[in-house]
Amino acid sequence: DPGAVVPAPQNLSVHSANMKHLLVWSPVILPGETVHYWVEYQGEYESLYMSHVWIPSSWCSPTPGPECDVTDDITATVPYRLRVRATSGPRASAWSALKPPFNRNSTLLLPPRMAVRKDGSHLVIELEDLGPQFEFFVTFWRKAPGAKEHAKVVRSVGFPVYLGAMEPGAVYCVKARALVRAIARRSAFSQAQCVEVQGEALPL
Amino acid sequence: GLKTLHLGSCVVTINLQEIQHGFSEIRDSVQAKDDNINIRILRSTESLQDTKASEKCCLLHHLLSFYLNRVFNNYQTTDHPTLRKLSSLANSFLIIKKDLQLCHAHMTCQCEEEAIAKYNRILSHFEELEPQAATVKALGELDILLRWMEES
Repeated sequence: DPGAVVPAPQNLSVHSANMKHLLVWSPVILPGETVHYWVEYQGEYESLYMSHVWIPSSWCSPTPGPECDVTDDITATVPYRLRVRATSGPRASAWSALKPPFNRNSTLLLPPRMAVRKDGSHLVIELEDLGPQFEFFVTFWRKAPGAKEHAKVVRSVGFPVYLGAMEPGAVYCVKARALVRAIARRSAFSQAQCVEVQGEALPL
Repeated sequence: GLKTLHLGSCVVTINLQEIQHGFSEIRDSVQAKDDNINIRILRSTESLQDTKASEKCCLLHHLLSFYLNRVFNNYQTTDHPTLRKLSSLANSFLIIKKDLQLCHAHMTCQCEEEAIAKYNRILSHFEELEPQAATVKALGELDILLRWMEES
């Protein structure tokens, strides 16, 4: 019905994990019509100094689906106001605003996935690449009474990081947590992963 | 990564690399719109470089407010990518300004006469120009301010 009002999108929310932010909402159903959505945002600066200015989202002006990756738009640790409207042909709905505004410091930081292995007599870890804002705090230790825990901050990922030499016959364990300085937060530690070194344990 | 700014007894941590990257993506297009190439608003030697440590916080606080109040919100563009980069810069400046306000509250960002005089000289250079031309020039000179912040 060309004259019918296009309903505004409802149930806006942001799903944010590991600094990836997805704005989602309930789809607008108009039988027989093609609906598109337009997403706009304001950072705290715009709200305070230019409240009439709304910035079209990088990836969703327009978008066909009821979701929008706003990660590239949320670039500072301040509250962001987000709004969505639906269109069908020339007709547009009212804007629906996300309440409350979203701040990336509320993102869910998950323990990092890692692969621990031996390279000869060396303990090696490889961490998943979560993007340039992430650092990793890695601790590793020899599984033995009174063994000292070692720590290392890993800033670049995507390739093996050598943690240290291992003694034959010993078991070494590693755990890691993610660190995001831009929001001054860190994740929980991952489960420890252990590897055993072949060969005879050296006499004490 | 993050950079720690030592501004006298005020110390703040900022994401300078992200700010520099954001500005580098619009610098050429902004500077291309600047027709007044023989005028300089931020003069490294005269105003920024020879700023005493004790004056840096006050001067930076005033310059951030200047950019937030008179530059970012007056720069006219219909280009959405530029608008997004400006938003990113402005919101990052807003965070730094809040941090400096904390220093001010803790009496570690006091304003002395020299810093105010320096800022007023910068303002007078800005006001010599027609408003939109001044806005374009000031935004184009952001790399001078960012370099000064990097060296602080």
